[in-house]
Amino acid sequence: MAKTILEIKDLAVQYVTDEAVVEAVNHIDLSLEQGESLGLVGETGAGKTTTALSVMQLLPDVSARIVSGEIYFEGEDLIRISPAKKREYRGNKVSMIFQDPMTALNPTLSVGDQIMEVILLHNRISREEAKNRAVEMMELVGLPGERFNDYPHQFSGGMKQRVIIAIALACRPSLLIADEPTTALDVTIQAQVLHLIARLKEEEQTSLILITHDLGIVAETCQKAAIMYAGEIMEYGTVEHIFNNTAHPYTEGLFGSIPNLNRKVSRLTPIPGLAPDPAALPRGCKFAPRCRYATPACSEAEVPVYEIEPGHLVKCLRAAPEGRSGDE
Amino acid sequence: MSEILQVKNLKKYFKTSRGMLHAVDDVTFSIEEGHTLGVVGESGCGKSTLGRTIIRLQPLTSGTVIFDGISTDDRRMSRSELKAYRRNMQMIFQDPYSSLDARMSVSEIIAEPLINYGVYRSRDELWKAVFELMDTVGLARRLANSYPHELDGGRRQRIGVARALSLNPKFIVCDEPVSALDVSIQAQILNLMQDLQQERNLTYMFITHNMSVVKHISDEIIVMYLGVVVEHASADSIFEHTLHPYTKALLDAVPVAELGAKKSRSFIKGEITSPIDPKPGCRFAARCPYAADRCRSETPELRELLPGHQVACHLAEELDQST
Amino acid sequence: MAEQEIIVKKKSQFRDVLHRFLKNKAAVISLFFILLLIICAIFPEQIAPYSYSQQNYSETFISPCLAHPFGTDNYGRDILSRVIYGTRISIGIGLVAVALSCVFGIVIGAAAGFYGSTTDNIIMRIIDIMLAIPSILLMMAIVTALGNGAVNLTIAIAISSVPGYARIVRASVMTEKELEYIEAARSSGATDLKIIMRHILPNCLAPIIVQATMSIATAILSIASLSFVGLGISPPTPEWGSMLNDAQSFMRDHWFVVTFPGLMIMLTVFAFNLLGDGLRDALDPKLKT
Repeated sequence: MAKTILEIKDLAVQYVTDEAVVEAVNHIDLSLEQGESLGLVGETGAGKTTTALSVMQLLPDVSARIVSGEIYFEGEDLIRISPAKKREYRGNKVSMIFQDPMTALNPTLSVGDQIMEVILLHNRISREEAKNRAVEMMELVGLPGERFNDYPHQFSGGMKQRVIIAIALACRPSLLIADEPTTALDVTIQAQVLHLIARLKEEEQTSLILITHDLGIVAETCQKAAIMYAGEIMEYGTVEHIFNNTAHPYTEGLFGSIPNLNRKVSRLTPIPGLAPDPAALPRGCKFAPRCRYATPACSEAEVPVYEIEPGHLVKCLRAAPEGRSGDE
Repeated sequence: MSEILQVKNLKKYFKTSRGMLHAVDDVTFSIEEGHTLGVVGESGCGKSTLGRTIIRLQPLTSGTVIFDGISTDDRRMSRSELKAYRRNMQMIFQDPYSSLDARMSVSEIIAEPLINYGVYRSRDELWKAVFELMDTVGLARRLANSYPHELDGGRRQRIGVARALSLNPKFIVCDEPVSALDVSIQAQILNLMQDLQQERNLTYMFITHNMSVVKHISDEIIVMYLGVVVEHASADSIFEHTLHPYTKALLDAVPVAELGAKKSRSFIKGEITSPIDPKPGCRFAARCPYAADRCRSETPELRELLPGHQVACHLAEELDQST
Repeated sequence: MAEQEIIVKKKSQFRDVLHRFLKNKAAVISLFFILLLIICAIFPEQIAPYSYSQQNYSETFISPCLAHPFGTDNYGRDILSRVIYGTRISIGIGLVAVALSCVFGIVIGAAAGFYGSTTDNIIMRIIDIMLAIPSILLMMAIVTALGNGAVNLTIAIAISSVPGYARIVRASVMTEKELEYIEAARSSGATDLKIIMRHILPNCLAPIIVQATMSIATAILSIASLSFVGLGISPPTPEWGSMLNDAQSFMRDHWFVVTFPGLMIMLTVFAFNLLGDGLRDALDPKLKT
């Protein structure tokens, strides 16, 4: 059994504005083992990025508030360690790749310097050594080392994303968080970048949290998946659980919404309605207003999480042992 | 069935500091009334420029476009000519945020084309029409006074659809209309567009980079690469009998939301360049795993290899047999 | 039913703006202050306790008291009265000059930004030349050419502040015109004029309003500078800037001779800035709560 490197317990995050309190993440539990890759799937406003930023301890100080919960990383609760320790841990043990490669690099520094900077920040080594490491990293992500002194504008989108990956991996972190790393890229480039991430994860035994809205990417890159909706994890399990034994109506709805390349359907079956306003979430199951199986019971009380098979968790009344037998 | 739009040898070049950018280079196709033509390709392949040139948001460098009996070419069009030409065509834009004027209310946005063309004489008639359009696209009437920023992406895109429908056009250029939307909302909009097409016998030119979406919605598909059409066929034929190596690469690169759907992946290496003063030869040759000497020296013509299935590749026959 | 809703709509839009404006207390107070100044500018005879030019050598440099709340100056003139009469020049010329330069600046800035290429080049080179000349020199040249007087002073100030508007408007027009909603308007048959007036300018409002409120301050100070070199308003007509200048030599011994005109300039500029911010926010539907 591999060791658990990240454990999130009962995490709840709110954003407080003048007018309203937005409940971005509502009491989620998640755990990740070393070398494992988890796909965090959901639509805009589902709380994916907030979850990631909580793990990075990069939530905006002014508006965000962690209401409850613990985030254990290698046994330490990240929420309660000192700011100096947080800095030490960010970039070194955990790194993050952001969505937009166009704005994530400093245009006035050469890419080599930017990679070197991270290495120097977390390691007591000479500039010479750091430079060698940086060139090594560039070659690892498939960039020629001669381009060390080139500036970001001399790189295309896909290559910039490679630079960002090089920066993220420069200190050999044990956890990598990728927030929609390929959304801004073309499909052929996306395939290259995803392949690169998967390969590096394999080689370095890094754990990966991949945030995406694309179930296809999850199917190809991840071992486990968590489906988020309105700040809650609706379904969690291995990709086999999620794709072959879909249990939550929301997950089902997501599958019905995407046109499939391998199958021809004349009409999609979208989820009706809209995602709820995170400042005024419904009572009970957050998905009930859009769910076609919803019963009055769904909106009455908080829905418990059921484990319908080992490791496959579903937050839906239909997954309750008696509910399933009565339904079928 | 009649062809509502014919595009002949359309070229659109832009002058840049590094040379002439061949954004759209000698593109010919036609669309039948009531059909959907999908245009796919990666960023910078000229698909958006093609759409904007057809609707004359940009003048064309050479070639002819005949729409519904009215033709346009590289000469300047007067305002009244343009108005007549565009009367029956509209556009739906990609970004439901920047494509709506933040300072106008929902009803004002939908009413704008009607006012510009002076369709209704009285205000009552105008607003009645606006409300009917809102019903058509599934926007609640109470939202008439709202501003776009108060609404979510799906609703905003419905405003865009209503605006495009307001003049009751025959033909709509849809430039990535669902790319900025969440999947569940994307499906709602795609269904809406299909319903409207059936009800009103609309013709679509559907521009997208999403292979799954284009397959879902199109009757015919054009695949573009660096300003040229590399493959043109019916949707079924393109997916079942892919001929061009670029189309194959595109299909291979799309992640499929199904376990075990993993194909043996053949990545194409490198990245798209830009078609500035292109040299003769196949524009895909630099990234093509099969490229031969001929591909680098001689420009492949678009030719019909299967009935109704055109491809621009010197090696299409050989590759077709080998797979 | 449709008709009913539409009436509601037009009204509510105006009401929205008003509602949002009224919520901003600072802007409302500023508005009242500015209205007060305007009343002073129109009816100084009725408001001011003394005449602005009435000299009294037995009463020079009287500290603020009941008879002279702001004190008197070196000629024994009542400073309060001079400040009240001064609004006529400072506010009057300031507002008119800003309005003029605003209109001209918007027109040429929008033309340059919207049409680009040659039009843009010609306009912007002229603007660059104007900016290359120090604005005080430019104003002096204009006033010297046209002759002294309030009208010519206004024209000089207006011309010298046109470049500021033109550049700001051009820059924001250039960003706005690239957005898809402009293309959408064009493909729905809107004319260039309509696109500029209906779509682009309303969306460029924020920087224009900021520039306008700032330039009122500059205008008041410009009037003062020109008066100082003898090209503006000739004494004894009071004007805040020249009051400051005249009082410079006495300011060590008599604080009130500079304090009150200075305070008026500061409060006026401040009020215009707050009003500008309030207007900008009220007119932006995105900030609707």
